[in-house]
Order: sequence, then C-alpha cells, then structure tokens
Amino acid sequence: MFSKTNKLNSQSLLEKNVLQSGLCTGCGACVGLCPYQVIYNDRTVQLHSCDLFSGKCQAFCPRLEVNLTSLRDYLFDFRDLTPEIGAVKNYYICRAADSRLREIAQHGGTVTALMELALAEGFIESAVVSSGHHGLEQNCTCARDVATLRSRTGSKFIVAPVVAAFNELAGKETGSIGVVATPCQALALAKMKLKPTADDNNRIDKLKLVIGLYCGWTLGVEKFKALLEQNGTDPATIRRMDIPAGQQILEVNDSQGKKLIPFDFIRSCIRESCNYCFDSTAEFADVSVGSARFGTDWKEMRGWNQLIVRTEKGAELIDVAVKRGFVEVREAPLEALKELKKAAAEKKKTALKNIIKKSGSARKLLYLSKDDPLVKRFLKKANG
Amino acid sequence: MIKLLSPANREVLFMGNEAIARGALEAGITVASGYPGTPSSEIIENLAGVASQRNLYVEWSTNEKVALEVAAAASFAGLRSICVMKQNGVNVASDFLLHLASSGTRGGLVLVTCEDPGALSSVNEGESRYFARMLEIPLLEPADFQEAKDLTKWAFELSEKIHNVVVLRSVTRMSHASGNVICGKLPVRSRTAKFIYDGSVMDPLRGPVISTPVVAKHSLQQKKLEQAAALFEKSSFNSYSGSKKPELLLITGSACFLYSCEAVNMLGLQKRTGILKLGTTWPLPSRLLKKYLKSTEKILIVEEVLPFLEENVKTLAAGMGREIGWKTFYGKMDGMLPSVGELNPDLVAAALSKILRVKKRNLPAAYLRKIAEITSLIPRREQTFCPGCPHRASFWSIHNALQLDGREGIVCGDIGCYAMAALFPSCGFNTVRTLHSMGSGTGIASGFARLAPYGLDKPVIAVCGDSTFYHAVIPALINAQHNRAAMTFIVLDNSGTAMTGFQPHPGLNVGAAGESVPAVDIAKICEAIGAKVAVSDPFDLDKTCKILNAFLQEKECLNVLILRQICALSPERKGKKKFLMQVDGELCLGDNCGCNRLCTRIFRCPALIWNRVKKKAVIDEVICAGCGVCYEICPQKAIKRMEASA
Repeated sequence: MFSKTNKLNSQSLLEKNVLQSGLCTGCGACVGLCPYQVIYNDRTVQLHSCDLFSGKCQAFCPRLEVNLTSLRDYLFDFRDLTPEIGAVKNYYICRAADSRLREIAQHGGTVTALMELALAEGFIESAVVSSGHHGLEQNCTCARDVATLRSRTGSKFIVAPVVAAFNELAGKETGSIGVVATPCQALALAKMKLKPTADDNNRIDKLKLVIGLYCGWTLGVEKFKALLEQNGTDPATIRRMDIPAGQQILEVNDSQGKKLIPFDFIRSCIRESCNYCFDSTAEFADVSVGSARFGTDWKEMRGWNQLIVRTEKGAELIDVAVKRGFVEVREAPLEALKELKKAAAEKKKTALKNIIKKSGSARKLLYLSKDDPLVKRFLKKANG
Repeated sequence: MIKLLSPANREVLFMGNEAIARGALEAGITVASGYPGTPSSEIIENLAGVASQRNLYVEWSTNEKVALEVAAAASFAGLRSICVMKQNGVNVASDFLLHLASSGTRGGLVLVTCEDPGALSSVNEGESRYFARMLEIPLLEPADFQEAKDLTKWAFELSEKIHNVVVLRSVTRMSHASGNVICGKLPVRSRTAKFIYDGSVMDPLRGPVISTPVVAKHSLQQKKLEQAAALFEKSSFNSYSGSKKPELLLITGSACFLYSCEAVNMLGLQKRTGILKLGTTWPLPSRLLKKYLKSTEKILIVEEVLPFLEENVKTLAAGMGREIGWKTFYGKMDGMLPSVGELNPDLVAAALSKILRVKKRNLPAAYLRKIAEITSLIPRREQTFCPGCPHRASFWSIHNALQLDGREGIVCGDIGCYAMAALFPSCGFNTVRTLHSMGSGTGIASGFARLAPYGLDKPVIAVCGDSTFYHAVIPALINAQHNRAAMTFIVLDNSGTAMTGFQPHPGLNVGAAGESVPAVDIAKICEAIGAKVAVSDPFDLDKTCKILNAFLQEKECLNVLILRQICALSPERKGKKKFLMQVDGELCLGDNCGCNRLCTRIFRCPALIWNRVKKKAVIDEVICAGCGVCYEICPQKAIKRMEASA
C-alpha cells in the first residue's frame, strides 16, 4: 500500500493522467470513497492532497490502466464475446409494456421498466439513476419506488456522477443496488468487481445489476450551457433532448418549443474524454440498452430500444420482465446487429486514432494497454 | 492594593509596559489612547485598569492615527496625554505626526512605540526611530525597567519644555520582561482642560494649533529640537561605565545595553571596554559623544535591526574628525552585527571576541546536557490556530469553496490571528497569497479584481478581522464598491481584538475601562456602502462554503460574508465546551485509503493527535475546545460529539 518509489501517488496520477489530460469522464468512480475527491458542477475536484499510493481512486478510474481482454475474460462467458460490442447472449428490440411510461421515456422506456421490475422482484433494493439538477448539471437519485424512477426518465446527453452515487450509497448500510450506467461508468464498476484493493469495504458486493446505456458521446456542461445561452435558451427550462436518426441534429425542447441545433455546433461541446472512449455499447453491463436508430421509420422505431443481454443475470432479468409483462421484446433484424457492430468498431478505431494523436505514439495508449489483444486488433484496423 | 498605584519609594516588580504606565501616572496624565498591538498593549490595559481611581480618560481608538489625534486634543487643552502603539502603528499615525510636529503641543504629549525586532508578534520588523529623525522630534529609549518609568515621566517634562511631541521607544524584551522599579510620587492635583486659541498663529501657547505658516513653524520646530539636544547633553539618562581609556567603546541603548553588559561580563572585558549608554537617541548630544569618542579608536555600536544610531554617530564623528581623529567603527554596516532580527548577549559577545581577539567562552557541558533534557519535554507543536479557533473552520470553507470553484481564486490576507493562515500546512490550507499591513488585503483585492481585462481573470477574496475592519478596511471597501471591484470580502468576526488580548473595538458595546458604549455594526456599514451582505457561522461548514461559492460566481458586485463566531480563548468562551469529543477507534480509518488521516494530516487542529502506535486519531481532551468541527469533517463519522452539559 505504501510502497514509495519514484512513481506518482494515486491522486497525482489522477490529476496528471486523467484530470489535466482531459480524460476524466465525470463518472465519479474516484468520488465518495474518501474526503479528497468530489464532483462539483460537472468537474472532478481534488479538495485536499492525499499522499497514498495504490488508492481506490486510481484502481477504479476507467481512464487509468486497464486490460480490457482480461477484464472481459474475468466477467463474461468467453463464448459470448464479440470484438466490437463485447459479450452478447441475446439481442432484441424491446420496449416497456406500459404505454404511459413510453410516453415520458426517452425512447422505448426499457431502462425504467427493467429497473421497476428489478425493484419489484427484489433483485435490488435501490436503483442509482441520474436525475436533472439545477440547470444542466446532472445529479443522481437513489430510487426505491416506481414514482421516483419515473420522475427521472429522459436523457440530456450529460453525464451524471453515477458511480460516485453508487460509492456513497454502498458505503452506507444498505442492501443490493442496481445502477444505470454509461459505458465508462460500467467499466469503472467492472474494475471494482476485480477488488483490486485490500481495504475495499466490499461495497462492490452490493452491486447486483448494471443496466448499460449506449453512448456515442456526452456533452460538457459548461460548453453546452454557453452554446444554449448564446442561442437564448435557458438551460433550466429544457424538458427533453433527442437525436433523431440520421439527421445530424440535436433536438432541444424547452418552454418555448422545439429547437434544432446542427451537430457542427454540438461537436465543440462534447466532453474531451469521449474522444478517447473505446466502448459505445456499455460492454461491461449485465444488459445494454440503446435507441433503435435503424430502418426507415424513425417515428415507429423511436418507441423502441435495442437490447443486448450480456450476462446470466441479465438474461434472467429479461426473462422475468417478459413473463411479468414489464417489457415487450421482438427479435431484432439481422442487419441491425451488423450495423451496430460496424458502428461500434468505427468508434473503437476513432478512439485509438485520437488516443495516438494525443499521446504522440502508438506505443502509448493512455489508459489502454498496447499488449491487450482486443486493442491490438483494432489498432491494426485503425492503422490499416 | 493595585500594584500600579503602589506608594512612593516602594520597590515593585514591574513589567516594562507597567513601568511605562506608572511613569505616565507619575507624570500626571489625564488622557491615554492607543490601538492594541504586541508588544504595546499592556500599557493602555494597565492605565484602563486604574482609570476610575486616577480619573483618567482611556480609550482604545479605532486606529493609531485617531489615537494620536485624540491624545493631541488633550495636549492642546493643556492636559498631559500618552498615546501608545506598536512600531508599524507609527506608520499609520505618521501623517498626523508630521503635522503635529510642526504645529507643536501644549500639555505634555508622549508617543510610546513598542517595537518588535525579530518580529516575534509582527509581520514586519519596522523601525520607527527613523520617524523621529525624519519628522524632527526627540526620541528616548529606556535601557532598564527603572528607566522605563523614569524616562517616561521625564518625557512629559521634556514635551512641555519644548512644546512638542516626544517619542519613547521600547522593544519586546523591555516591554514584556519584568524588573524591580522604585516608585515615585503620584500627583495629587489634576489639571483642568482649557483650549486657548485667541493668540497669534506663532504663539505656541495661545494661538490656534496649526502647522502653517509652514516655513516659520518648521524653523520653530527645529529650534525646539536644538533645545532638546541641549537638555540631552546633561541628561542623567545618558551614562558611561568602564575603563577611562577603553580599547573598545560600546555605544548602545535600549535592551541592547543589557545585552552589552552581559557580553562584557561574560568575556571578562570590563577593563578593556567602556559602555556609553544613551537614553536620548535623537537628536544625539554631540558634546557628550565627542568626549567619549575621543577616548578610544575603536567603537562598536550595539543596536537592533537597522544602523540608526550607527549612522548618526558616524555623521557626528565625521563632523568632528579634526578634533577626535580617525576611528574604526564596528556595527551593522561592516556586518559585525546582523541588521535583521533581535540581538542577544551571545551575538554581542561574538562581536566582542572578534574585535578584541578573545576566545568565546563555551557553556559548561552539564548546562548543555540539562538544556537537551528539558527540550525533549516540550510538546512538539507548530505555530497554528488554537483548538476551537473559528479561523481554522473559516479557512477550511474558503479553501474548499476555492477548490470547488476551480479557478484558482486569490485570497488576500490581513493582520490578526488569521494572518497565520499564510502558514501552510499548519493552517490556512494554502489559500492566502498576500499579507501586508492592516486593511491592505482589501485594498489589494480591490486592485486584483480590476485586472481581468489584462489577463488575471480569477476570483478574488479579501479577509479581515473585526478590529481590522474598523482600523483600516473601510476606505478600501468603499474603494472596491465605488470602483466596481467584483470581489468577495470576508470579515472573520471573533468578537474582539483577539490576537492582542481581547481589547474591545467599535463593534462591541464596552469601552477600554469597561464602560458601556454604543456598538457600530459591521453588516450595516457594508450594507450602507452598497454591498450584498451575508452572515454565517464558520462552524457551519456547509452553509459557509455554499455562500462562498455563490459569491464567487458573481461577476458584478462586492459581496460581503461575515463569519461570526467568538474566539475560543475569549474570556466569555474560554473553558466552556459545547461538545465533548471522542474518537471511535473501531471506525477510525487512520491512514488507510478512504481517509488518510484527514483530521491530523490536513485539518490539523492541535487537539487532534495521531497515535503512531495504534494508527488512530485521538482527542487531546485537555486542549480540545469542544467546537465540534472535526465531527463535521470526519468522513467515517468516527469522531463522536456529545453535547456538554452546562
């Protein structure tokens, strides 16, 4: 724990290699474990200096040293693994059975429906989900009932420090927990499952379910706020945001009505860390949910989600959810999976290109390992 | 029987400052004013203690300039008055002092400055001796405790003889050490205040008291100084001891006289040296100097900090070179003695041994062993805020608010206990970036806040204490508001002038002698200036931090946060614990990940101790003030608090 070599202590390592390098995803994995790291206004802040080596903050950070292949091998059935989108046991089109939920949900309402089920069936005692906070900054809610869950639906494309909320909740005397997580957050939770530190408090044992969200990028609050304000939109009045399939625009609904912001403007607001993200489908979740952006009829598909079932636990959840009538599932068209894998592979290649551009060398891949077979595979493709 | 009012001829152990106060009483003062400042504060405190018995008017003034003005008014009305301050207080008073020296005085007026070579309780080691030379007024320096009393008394006589203000200078080792003093008589009759202004402008006793016509008044002032110099030639406060033809003449005064005597004795140089002790150090008595300069070729000038005496003696010697011949001077200018910090007998002895080529005497081995033994018993503590100090909590919140804000905001410090916030890591949490004179933090912040268009776009915070607020902050605050300096101004209001010993200030409804007076409200002043004002208890960390973060976001206006919590050492609070604190060793994470000793490594309240063996934090119940703030910061809630029964 206290081996003192020339290397940086955990906090300095985070500061240098993550915070100052623009790699911080705002997931909150390093927060809620100690009094030194906090999240404030979408930023990870180091309040005081800590001089420990091999701290949990370092071990859990999804943007510090990770070998994805060994993590995949540890957590999933090797027969399910795909290079592009991780483990796939099943792949469906899915939506909440309750039409009232679908109306308030971002798309098919699958995530909320599954969490409702998990709570109802006692798979988990509480669900950590993101919730709107003053203005755009996202906060987290610990939901134990349907009403709380349903008041938190919808996406604002801004990351909430979900893992921080998990850390805090799991540190208290509490039962099993389910988390709705973006890919980076799911990766952090997966790293925790390895129990890399001795004094872990076994918080991670309370994690019983991770519902992953597909994610292409998220917005940095400060930049996005500035953009909205330039366009005369008060961030506090935003009701709903969406990206209609194939239109290269962000749709923002506020009290004055609908506004369409072209991607060219949005791009400058994307969190820098998203450029280096290797995962678009939350590969380390039990199930992953995304919008169904394929086919021609966006109006029809908007009411559905894609669903990847990754683990035994995930499969059991979907099974019960269908049986209890919480969700409706359909077989997905074959092209859909192909399209998804292609897009995911593209994201991986772009991430590697961006990483190399940042580090200046194909031998230095920031948080990824150059010896990781999965990384090697896409590195070849990225170069080729 | 009050010691300060001991009958005549009795020998009493007086602290230097008590001796000065006694001297003023023997001189028959009616008015005493001052501003608290170590090492001067006990003079006014002692006079306040006998105000009713001696029918005195004693006040703690808002600042030193006002104090001198108050004392001057008494002098103009024919009363004797004393005005007391520390060295840098003279800087504050100096603008008025310049004009006062020109207008002249009537009743005896003595300005006492207690100085702090080595800055034991200061953030400067300023010299006010140069003011006496620059402003052309007499300067007296007592060399022992009897002299502290006698010279003070004589200073009033001198002031009335020359009709001008007289400066009496003490130093920490004179003011705060104690010695036996034989008391003189306390006068029975008191004077009546009468201000006469019907004479001509040049009439020192009957005209209006003004500094014009400047050239004529200036000329008159210089005659007064010559008059003083003539009196100094015969003054018994200047004395010589030692060989008639010494190899080395020491010229000294103040506490340095005692150091010189000790050093000479230490090295057994009584027969080879002579010591000329000067009690009147400006203007120098030139004939007296000539007599002793003639007696030898080698002269060592022993004084603290700057070479004031050395310069003046050398100037005189240059003028009388034909009569006294070539001299070799030792002192500051040749580096024989340091020009910074306090002197002590060892430093003087080192200089003597070098000049006279004698061996330094080492301390006996047994003595050194004993010192080493005793030293190990002293608890190791860093200079820091006391247990239960509201400032520790205040700076904790300031630090956290700035970290959360993330723009590397600047904190401008000021003078008071909270000046220690500049110390890191012991306290202050690495926030304070500037620290100068009283009130300067606010003025500097006001300036920083206007530098955004030139690249310094950072939030700016100024802190000041309650007493400092009245002393010198108000003009700077008005400046900030009027000139649109968007900054956050924090008053660390601990209900008294804590650092110097809880002297009252205008924010309290009690005066120097315990009388009831109206309090002047800080919040109302700030509101009247036009600032946005919030008040919080610094022990409420969460609320304080939130207010600060909201203020830091404001881009247009002056925001004032008053952090109000009485000092843990104040007479009202001392010894009263709100909470009984205890550490639950089971819960304490110690230096493990998840805490890493936040309370003893970062927060560092002296009442929190790290038990190296058990690797747990423990509370030092003896010094814990029971404020309960550590309960708030403990991430494990391992620090428990229990309401203390009243």
